[in-house]
Amino acid sequence: MKKMSAAKVKIKERKMRNQPSSVQYPSRENNPRNGGDTPVTGGSGSNAPSDIQQTTERQTKPQQRGGWVRGHQKDRGSYAKEIPKHISGGGFAMARAAEVRAMLKAVNKTTASCHVFEALPKHMRRRAMSHNIKRLPRRLRDTANRLREKSLQAGSKKKEQTKAKGKSRKARRRHGNLLLEFNRRQRKNVWLETHIWHAKRFHMVKKWGYCLGDRPTCKCYRPCYRAMSTHCLLQDLSYYCCIELQGEEDKLLAALSQLTSKQAGPTFAAALCLSGQRQGSVVVYRAGQYPSQVLGPVTFIWKPCTHGSTHRQLWIWAHPSIKQDLLPELQSVCQCCEAVVPPVVPVVTPAEVTPTKEPELKPEKAPKPAQSHTKRKRSCKDACEPPAKKILGDGTRSPSTPVTWRSSSTGIVINDLTMDIVRYRLIGPQSHTVLAETLEAATDCNALDKSQPSPLWWPGHCKDESKMNLHKQQADIFNILKDIYSTGELPAGTVLGLAVDDPRLTLPSKKVKALPCVKQTEEVDEEKRRELMLRGVPKNCCRSFLWEQSVRDNVTDNKISEQELNRMRSEVLVPGSRLSPTPLQGRVPVLLVHQPGKQVGHEMSSWGAGWDLLLPKGWGMAFWVPLVYRGVRVGGLNMSLKHSQNKGTPHFPHDYPDCPAGVRFQEEQETELLDKFKRRPPAKRTNYVKHGCLAPFCCPWQQLAEEWELITREEREERKSESQTETTTHTDTVMEQEMTSQPNIGETKPQSFFTVLRNRKSLKLLSGWCRPTTSKGQRFCRIGQVPLLDSSAVRLFLTEHRMSVVWVRLSLLSKGKPELHAMVCVPLTEDLKLLSNKSDCSGPQEPLHKNHFKTRAKHKKKGSNKTAAASSLSPEKTEAKGSVEPNLPIVAKDPKSSSESSTDLIFGLWPDPLPSVTSHCSRVTLGWVTQGDFSLSAGCGEALGFVSVAGLLNTILSQPTEYRGMVLLRNPTSLHYRLAKINIEV
Amino acid sequence: MVRVKSRYLLCEITVSERSQLLQLDDRAVATAVRAAVARTHGDYGAAQCVIGFSVKYLNAHTGIVFLRFPKRCYRLLWSALPFITCIETRGHKIPCVLNCLHVGGTIRTCQKFLIKYNTQQLRQMLPKCKNDEEKQQVRKAILTCCLPGSNRKETEEDFESEDDEEE
Repeated sequence: MKKMSAAKVKIKERKMRNQPSSVQYPSRENNPRNGGDTPVTGGSGSNAPSDIQQTTERQTKPQQRGGWVRGHQKDRGSYAKEIPKHISGGGFAMARAAEVRAMLKAVNKTTASCHVFEALPKHMRRRAMSHNIKRLPRRLRDTANRLREKSLQAGSKKKEQTKAKGKSRKARRRHGNLLLEFNRRQRKNVWLETHIWHAKRFHMVKKWGYCLGDRPTCKCYRPCYRAMSTHCLLQDLSYYCCIELQGEEDKLLAALSQLTSKQAGPTFAAALCLSGQRQGSVVVYRAGQYPSQVLGPVTFIWKPCTHGSTHRQLWIWAHPSIKQDLLPELQSVCQCCEAVVPPVVPVVTPAEVTPTKEPELKPEKAPKPAQSHTKRKRSCKDACEPPAKKILGDGTRSPSTPVTWRSSSTGIVINDLTMDIVRYRLIGPQSHTVLAETLEAATDCNALDKSQPSPLWWPGHCKDESKMNLHKQQADIFNILKDIYSTGELPAGTVLGLAVDDPRLTLPSKKVKALPCVKQTEEVDEEKRRELMLRGVPKNCCRSFLWEQSVRDNVTDNKISEQELNRMRSEVLVPGSRLSPTPLQGRVPVLLVHQPGKQVGHEMSSWGAGWDLLLPKGWGMAFWVPLVYRGVRVGGLNMSLKHSQNKGTPHFPHDYPDCPAGVRFQEEQETELLDKFKRRPPAKRTNYVKHGCLAPFCCPWQQLAEEWELITREEREERKSESQTETTTHTDTVMEQEMTSQPNIGETKPQSFFTVLRNRKSLKLLSGWCRPTTSKGQRFCRIGQVPLLDSSAVRLFLTEHRMSVVWVRLSLLSKGKPELHAMVCVPLTEDLKLLSNKSDCSGPQEPLHKNHFKTRAKHKKKGSNKTAAASSLSPEKTEAKGSVEPNLPIVAKDPKSSSESSTDLIFGLWPDPLPSVTSHCSRVTLGWVTQGDFSLSAGCGEALGFVSVAGLLNTILSQPTEYRGMVLLRNPTSLHYRLAKINIEV
Repeated sequence: MVRVKSRYLLCEITVSERSQLLQLDDRAVATAVRAAVARTHGDYGAAQCVIGFSVKYLNAHTGIVFLRFPKRCYRLLWSALPFITCIETRGHKIPCVLNCLHVGGTIRTCQKFLIKYNTQQLRQMLPKCKNDEEKQQVRKAILTCCLPGSNRKETEEDFESEDDEEE
């Protein structure tokens, strides 16, 4: 009651408006008033003794309009007389009468609502009463009528106000206006070409400057997984950025070699990739900074070289979140700082809206009966506003932003082809079947078309014999694809160029699932197939005209609109038959790129392999719908995360904590999770302090690496001093660790940032030491010769990678589903004994931690309340409160608490300067999980995450051989540890 | 319906000298009732009197008071009312007696009863008048015992005031 919000006060006022208020003389002696028959109202019966003063003031408003005192309000201020000494009978009668009137008013008016219908008892209410007044009882019709008129007036008033901006729905839905609206809406976040298709079926998220589908609105998690593992899952990856590099081969390679290292696997110069036959993937670093300063993973394709020319073309495909880092880096290594302003080089202006005719204006070009109609439309559009053009490509960029950079010294040209090429990904063993059924190699055009000069690209190509030969070869290979059993059989990263017919022409009338038809083929075909499976696509067949800017633009500009196509179909003699001859515009150059499936690990190899389909812009929907009509499932961002999780590969940017994009992502994720956490009332939150979970939302990798580094260093020193052999038992080590890790973590020396271990050789060594097993840890996998694991080898290893973390896959041995940011811990010897017992007990428990912050939070709360009400407080009280404050750190007993008194405490979370992350719980922490879920492919809980290299080596060194690589996993919301097996897959 | 139910007692404060009535205020009445309950029923009664008890309305001219008691113990509290012999307000002790006229489940029924009771009282006053002037006044009072103005006018006023609030 004391502090009511304004709205509440208002509601209460309204309610009490007709209620009589008490009639009495205010009790203040210093404010005497006259009497007679002029009563004064006081508080309306509020029995709160302390604030009668306030209540009287608060209620001045209702007094003025309510009740029977109205007439006397004016001279209220001049009341000066005392309470009258006597009263007359007449005055008393008047008072009675006045009371009766006030009561009458109160009784006759309902307090609840002014709606007539609500005053009616329930059994008298009728349907649509507000619409048809005659359904009301007669006595209420008058009021209802008046109310209705009033609301109508108000409605019309509102309409007048809004009329200025709102057009009719019909006008809004008109094509041109709709396009304008769409273009306006994608000013901030670019839409992909399939946006509208996705927006109808997906939960959309705005990420990285794009509007992307996150997950379908229908329940299809498992169907999507099944599609990935048995049929085909389709994704629109057009948001990936393509950066084109052109220049002399040696110069390009010299520049790019600074960004990568051979130690982390094949680089840009890998022979197979360089020939253009394969797509390669590398992790890019800042120039010359190899083990540190990662930028992120990219894939690349070289354009197959033409004979005798060293001029090469390279496409680098990168995630949009690293583009802002990658592009300047590329410019600096290639020394390309000259921005080419688009109008100067009109060929390389992909971002600009193509200035030629638009799909929706196309009918104008061909002489049609509908011409006059379109003309009128166009002219009116020209008259009033700039014609609405569909944005193809990147709409957020202004046309004058440079997209091309040229170097005068090296001759390299960098071209930003973002949103210029549509990229679809098909995942699953049957994706080649879907492709083979959807696409058809472009048909030759007849002699008549060939002879005529044409603005289109295809007739020109048909004239060239060598080009047609190439096309025939490519078509042959594409036909062989149909006979392959599974997409995974092909060599990873195969590239196949092709020109195909418009897939809309062969669109089935009904959605049909593309099924493989593996038939017995002849010897020759069989041989060809084997050749394809072993060697991949021959060198010359990798060429595609998609590489050429002019062809791409030509194809984009000359796309037949849907409307035109339908018109042509309607003119076909036999309804539903195929258009023949195929319209000349309907040939599209595409590039098919094979995506490798699961390459690491020992089981489920090549799971999730698929094809990427690269198309010129503008053709997105023309290929999307036919693909969907072949029975594929469509997945969003969520599914790509699951895809990489099942593949056991780190997903970008979730699992790259060392690169700037990954750091940004982690920050975003932390705020998001924290917001979600804070939305719950404190009593319903997980108390992470009690669970001993220091970082439930963001993993402090740097701190982890530093602490483990410190632990190993101190251990080494100790050993040296004692000149002890490395036969320390496991418990000893752990004890040691716990002891050493406790004090002064703060005083680590020079700032060196943690790195993710990507050195192939080291990874292989580490993997061997961890004794790889199958997913549930039942069988051991055979591996090659691994050097013996002993302390000297470990020491040698650690000198190189003392601040590293390593990507591991953890599979749970029994029950449990790991979650995001679950802790990976070192098991004690007792825990390992549990394992040998084979009992059902699945793991040890973490003792409940004490929440030291509880008392502090309480005090804080009280304190803040007090300060808020400080004005009314006596000085002694505030002082008393102040004296409590210094005691707090003693209560909290936390070594860091003094420093954090200023930070705000969130109940259930450890405040900011974290204590030692490794030794906080009863089991020493090794690392955290970044992706965890029940794995449908392995049939058990599986987690992917990072652990500290130093910690891992320390652990496996002290473990007996048969239990090597066993760790404990604990979810942030649980106290239960689960045993898991570490696998490092190379 | 689920709600906290209470009983409303419509009481008349009877005093020997009318002018003393004007000094009353709701706080004084509440304290007097509390004190009486505490005296008769001890701590238990006093505790029952804490929650759900309030003086809803007090007319210092006519001595009408609405007391609200929680339903479960209103009989207990009611039984203490006859023990009120004086109410202390503004430094004076006013000797008085609380006369319960009506017990209702809602304020509304109490109000309805009060209307009936008051008009009845006014009519009884008329023959007892001592002089003409007084008679005139009482007559006038009886005539004004209906809602001021017609119904229609009132509702319109209502709507206008609503509009004001919205703006």
